[in-house]
Amino acid sequence: MAARVLQQCVRSFARPSLRLCTRNVAVRATATPAVFIHRPLSFAAESPRTRLFGQSRYGDLPPLTLETIKERVMYVLKLYDKINPEKLQTSSHFMKDLGLDSLDQVEIIMAMEDEFGFEIPDAEAEKLMTPEEIVQYIADKKDVYE
Amino acid sequence: MKTAVVVLLGMSASRLPPAALSLKQFLQRQKVLQIYRTLLRTIRQVPDEADRRYLRDWARGEFRRNKEATNQDAIRMMVTQARNHLEELQKSLALARS
Repeated sequence: MAARVLQQCVRSFARPSLRLCTRNVAVRATATPAVFIHRPLSFAAESPRTRLFGQSRYGDLPPLTLETIKERVMYVLKLYDKINPEKLQTSSHFMKDLGLDSLDQVEIIMAMEDEFGFEIPDAEAEKLMTPEEIVQYIADKKDVYE
Repeated sequence: MKTAVVVLLGMSASRLPPAALSLKQFLQRQKVLQIYRTLLRTIRQVPDEADRRYLRDWARGEFRRNKEATNQDAIRMMVTQARNHLEELQKSLALARS
């Protein structure tokens, strides 16, 4: 529910002609058709990114920040069936803390490639062993500074 | 505990840090992971979603089933088999595209 309200607020912020989101959410939902960015995600049809930036008027993807990268990485990891979502933290090592093996790590990096839409070469992929490292690597590759 | 360590040392997709494997085993492990990754990447290009899922499950099952193999020759044979499967898949994809 809170996510929907936030979504409405983002939309109303982007289009100042609309009134504030204190209005009835149900009325808003029928009145404003949402344009969702459809991207092939391997694990889920909707990610936090498409929810937050549901109505984009530009051809380009929404800007990446360290926070959104981290959110998406953790979201994809939580969907992976071999990972226990409660034990997952940004610093948890895949092999030492989460008990995964190298085949799982390959699959996880492939899922990250699917999520962010660019290829990660073998040599660098095998070094990424914690969610934090993945976030740093993607931020490096995508030139995200903060 | 000791037997577990011995089994783990021979595993081609091992959890232990690479320092615990001999050079040959380490290289072989890298080869296995490399071919696993290439296979998954090729499967991604399959046009049909159901086929993709089936192939992915098949590949995962095959690799995991033989994860515990310790015989170097057996592992080499399996890697060659995987490579043949991969080439077949790539040829079919090329045909389907043309």
